[in-house]
Amino acid sequence: MAAMARNMRICEDCMGLKVISLMKQVPLTSQMRMGADGLMDRTKVKSIINVDCCFGLEQGLQIKRSVADVELIVVSMGPPSFEQSLRQAVSLGYDRAVLLSDRRLGGSDTFSTGMAIAKLLQSQILSQNPDDKFIVFAGRQTSDGDTAHVPSQVAENLSIPQVTFAVSIDYSPTHLVVKRMIEGGYQTLKVPMPCVISVAPTAIHMRRSTLAGAIKSRKVQIQTYTLDQIGVDPAQVGLNGSPTSVAKVVNIVHNRPAVTMVDGCNTDDISSHLVKLLDATETLHAVSKGRSEASAAAVPEAPKQDKYPRADFRNGASGIFTWAEVHGSELVRSSVEILNPARKLADELKTKVTTLLIGHNVKGLAARLIALGADEVIVVDEPRLKEYSILPFTSVIEQIVRERRPEIALFGATTSGRELAPRLGSRLGSGVTADCTILKVGEYVNNFSKTIWAPCLEAIRPTYGESKLATIVGFRCPQMATARPGTFERLKADNTRQGKITEFSPVLNDSVFCVEILGIDRKEGGDQGLFTADVIIAGGRPCGEIDDFKLIKELVAALEEKGINAAWGATRQAVDHGYAPYSRQIGQTGKTVRPKVYIAVAVSGAIQHVSGMKESGKIIAINQDQHSNIYSCADYGIVGQYQEMLPALIKKVRSGFTFGLKAVK
Amino acid sequence: MDIPIIETDILVIGGGSAGLSFAIHCADLIRKHNEDPAVKIKIPDRIMLLEKGSSLGNHSLSGAVINPEVFRELLPEVKSEEYPFETPVLEDDTMFLTKSSAIKLPFHPPYMSNQGNSIVILGKLIRWLGEIAEKKGVQVFSGFSAQELLIEGGKLAGIRTNASGVDADGKPLLNYQPPTEVRAKIFIMAEGTRGHLTRNLIQALQLDKGCNPQVYSLGVKEVWEIPQGAFNKGRVVHSLGYPLNFDQFGGGFIYGLSDTMIALGYVAGLDIKDPTFDTHRALQVYKKHPFVQGIIKNGKLIRYGAKTIPEGGLFALPQLYHDGVMIIGDSAGFLAMPSLKGVHLSIRSAMLAARAAMEALKNKDYSCAQLSAYEKSFKDSSVYRELYPVRNFRQAFKDNLILGALQFGTQLVTGGRGFSFSGRLTMNEDRAHCQKIEELHGKVFGGNEPFDKCATFDKETEIFFSGTKHDEEQPSHIHVQSVEKCATCIETYGGPCQYFCPAQVFEISTDSKTGKKGLKLHPSNCVHCKTCDIKDPYRNVIWETPYGGDGPEYENM
Repeated sequence: MAAMARNMRICEDCMGLKVISLMKQVPLTSQMRMGADGLMDRTKVKSIINVDCCFGLEQGLQIKRSVADVELIVVSMGPPSFEQSLRQAVSLGYDRAVLLSDRRLGGSDTFSTGMAIAKLLQSQILSQNPDDKFIVFAGRQTSDGDTAHVPSQVAENLSIPQVTFAVSIDYSPTHLVVKRMIEGGYQTLKVPMPCVISVAPTAIHMRRSTLAGAIKSRKVQIQTYTLDQIGVDPAQVGLNGSPTSVAKVVNIVHNRPAVTMVDGCNTDDISSHLVKLLDATETLHAVSKGRSEASAAAVPEAPKQDKYPRADFRNGASGIFTWAEVHGSELVRSSVEILNPARKLADELKTKVTTLLIGHNVKGLAARLIALGADEVIVVDEPRLKEYSILPFTSVIEQIVRERRPEIALFGATTSGRELAPRLGSRLGSGVTADCTILKVGEYVNNFSKTIWAPCLEAIRPTYGESKLATIVGFRCPQMATARPGTFERLKADNTRQGKITEFSPVLNDSVFCVEILGIDRKEGGDQGLFTADVIIAGGRPCGEIDDFKLIKELVAALEEKGINAAWGATRQAVDHGYAPYSRQIGQTGKTVRPKVYIAVAVSGAIQHVSGMKESGKIIAINQDQHSNIYSCADYGIVGQYQEMLPALIKKVRSGFTFGLKAVK
Repeated sequence: MDIPIIETDILVIGGGSAGLSFAIHCADLIRKHNEDPAVKIKIPDRIMLLEKGSSLGNHSLSGAVINPEVFRELLPEVKSEEYPFETPVLEDDTMFLTKSSAIKLPFHPPYMSNQGNSIVILGKLIRWLGEIAEKKGVQVFSGFSAQELLIEGGKLAGIRTNASGVDADGKPLLNYQPPTEVRAKIFIMAEGTRGHLTRNLIQALQLDKGCNPQVYSLGVKEVWEIPQGAFNKGRVVHSLGYPLNFDQFGGGFIYGLSDTMIALGYVAGLDIKDPTFDTHRALQVYKKHPFVQGIIKNGKLIRYGAKTIPEGGLFALPQLYHDGVMIIGDSAGFLAMPSLKGVHLSIRSAMLAARAAMEALKNKDYSCAQLSAYEKSFKDSSVYRELYPVRNFRQAFKDNLILGALQFGTQLVTGGRGFSFSGRLTMNEDRAHCQKIEELHGKVFGGNEPFDKCATFDKETEIFFSGTKHDEEQPSHIHVQSVEKCATCIETYGGPCQYFCPAQVFEISTDSKTGKKGLKLHPSNCVHCKTCDIKDPYRNVIWETPYGGDGPEYENM
């Protein structure tokens, strides 16, 4: 078949390059509301093009600089109101706008969405010629779903390579060179076409519409398709066709006492006042009060329901898989963290934790994984697997999963885990829950089939701007989830633990190595420090604009001189504007940190950020806006310019003030 | 990259009350004409309107108390119940404020009564007009600014929008987008107060020959949420005096938009001599007055904004037409004094221009001579009859409020002529009024008292409440012509820009090494009031439009 296609190949140059940009319209974050059914209510709020999608759209337009006759197609899936954003894309320079719109798609999860979009592309946009050249661009993730799954799943459904979290893309007629974010640095990849690229917001900002473009966009016909037109069985999509379901949604309760505002007539006065307040409290402990209360309040025990018969949907699948991500020769912290929930789940389900250790010369790490909670480590040692790459790693894990049939598979939500899990899920027919903060065993009352599915994995994740906790369940094994880095504490290493080390030799086609790793740049290794620091000083976007985090870094240095373990972090805004590396990002889609003292400097208190630091011991907020949201989750608030406040604090620290902490060195 | 060229029949620049009213009325007239079965040749009917705000109404700001009469003329098919007004004026007081007391005047100064008027939120009104205009087939494009005039052979031939994706030095970036050129048979200048293209047009074609220079006031306005009962819905208060002195032209206003919301503002002439005079500061001081405190105590600031008001009156109106172009609304300076009402006049001037445009399209003649019908019809109109008796009003107050009141009193008796032989009092540009800083002996208007952040706020906080934002990656839209002049100005006048700008666009900073003072610009703070373009003593600041869609997000001001 492939040979035939090759013979029939028409002059390649006649076949124009197609650039397809996947775009989603989202409600303005500040106006997000949720309907009574726990799903997003998109009817009442102002909508915009999802921020990350803007960067994807721009990358598509950039290709036109190299290939003048490229056909630019913007594609979306959603209600007819998405037309507004599709027209905006046309006003920027897109030639064609395509919308998949069908009521029966409502409630689709990322698995179904990825499948439906791939079908739309195959049936309406791409030709049957397998040598067709095309690139699919997408945003990294959406602000309402925040999973980052769909690009991977579209790529898997199209059986083409992918690069996610891309920050720069260079086009050449035969391939793309793409730089992508990885934990603590960047990876540069050479990718053949066709491929899917998901773009992070550090790339080129989306251009503005021209008036001429806006005029054209009013006249363009939006091509709208239904499920029937693209040949998708409605039973495979929507609420009932998706492999995962939202089981319940509860409000997150915050229990931090009201903020104490620290004032004074000048910065020196204010900082003295703060010193007095902090000295008055006892020496701070690492135990975080806010955290336990929030989780306890948010997750009430499910009442026992026995109105339907219980059913075990696992069909013989058993065991918990975790993937051990290796950077260089080190285990990535999040891979160690997931052994904690994996261990608990395995104990409750009376099964074993099996960790997949894939790489080259990594066998030495197996014993450590066992000490940290694994019962068995499956080692895949192969020179070509030295560095992580999505296609071979998906293939290897797929082979092991098919052989072992685990019931649950867990990944750290790093940039690798967040692309590997969904791609694997689409291949195995499983749903994936992204960025979970709680993982537990539960059951699900299915009112349609009148059965109670049990036991199942309750994957719980903050959602809707971190105001709610959603419990997601899936009934296809393995039940998959990624866990937010920093959420689970690492288990204490127990070197006496016994475990099995098994070697596995996968079958690897050359085709899975079609993406070449050109280089790896791990400049910023300091990200791990955020998890161990006792004091974190985090800056908002103004700190980047005004002094490039200089004063914040100075305060960190001053604390370190006093023997305090301090580190600096940044908000998503600051990172997205390039003032700090991604590894420093605190909050949703970044890291969850829990230091003893957290100092928020010029941080507005966007809920996405607060979610990543609200469990800190003491929170001190410095902001010039007295109405800032940050004070609602702080213990101490200072209203003022940080450029004036920080020097005063630095002075205090130099003269011995350590925020009530004891020196460790 | 090639610049795309778009053609249309009429291009309206600016989507405020004037521009939208023009488009609505013109579309109505053309449709009426074209629907007439007796008419053989149809009039071309493509009307395009550009608005620099991200959406209609976002750059609209007014008090506002308006006379609803004009809407019956503009929209005869719409019932008055459908007008998007907040409330009729139910109480109407004029107060005289001293530092600690408020005296209610037992009468309304002439032309100041608001009987039969309504309190409106201009932004809301504009969005409503915009919907009507679009239904009538007007192509409204908001988020695009007309940045440049194309004058060919002494005539306006086209305009260009901003290029975008350009760095601060004007160098194209990777996301560069070229401007779009628009060519039209007739251009309508409806940019509002101190429109920069209107300014350039008047200058290039010398349309203000023999006119008084236009003079302005700056109005700074806030919207507050207040406890129920603190100020009645439908109540209107105007105040004179404090914190201004008698030699300064200005006053405060408070309008009850609803039971729990008020519009509050301060308006002051830009001819005030004190180089440290700061209208924003005046509003803050005003808010500390016991009378105002009683209203806003326990209230909450919701929105902030500022806009200039053209007050020159009849003698400052430029020639309103030229080949292929007409000037309407605040851009021309249609504003009734002393009530400071301009919305109804902007609509009326727009309707007059629409009639002239229709005739021009019918005759396929877009010349100066054809379009002069607009100015002729204006002289026979109620607009002229409203402006004529107060033609010397503002001039009377140029030096002193009390003397001005005397002069205005004489004008009332003499039918507006006042103490003058020619019947025309002259006026200098606002920028010509500026005291040397040394004459103030270190005194700064309103003092240096810090803002309490409950009732009074610094400019930085207020800017947040204007919702203004600008792409940082673009050339400054505020052009400072010469650094040397800046240095001279700082030395002579103490850098008045840092005071008169209500949005802290201008910062006078001292170099820590040399001790030299210099200007630092923050164009992204700008709320598009254009005071700098008017008041800079050396004409050293030129205001132009930034990228379309940038600027304040007033929504309801």
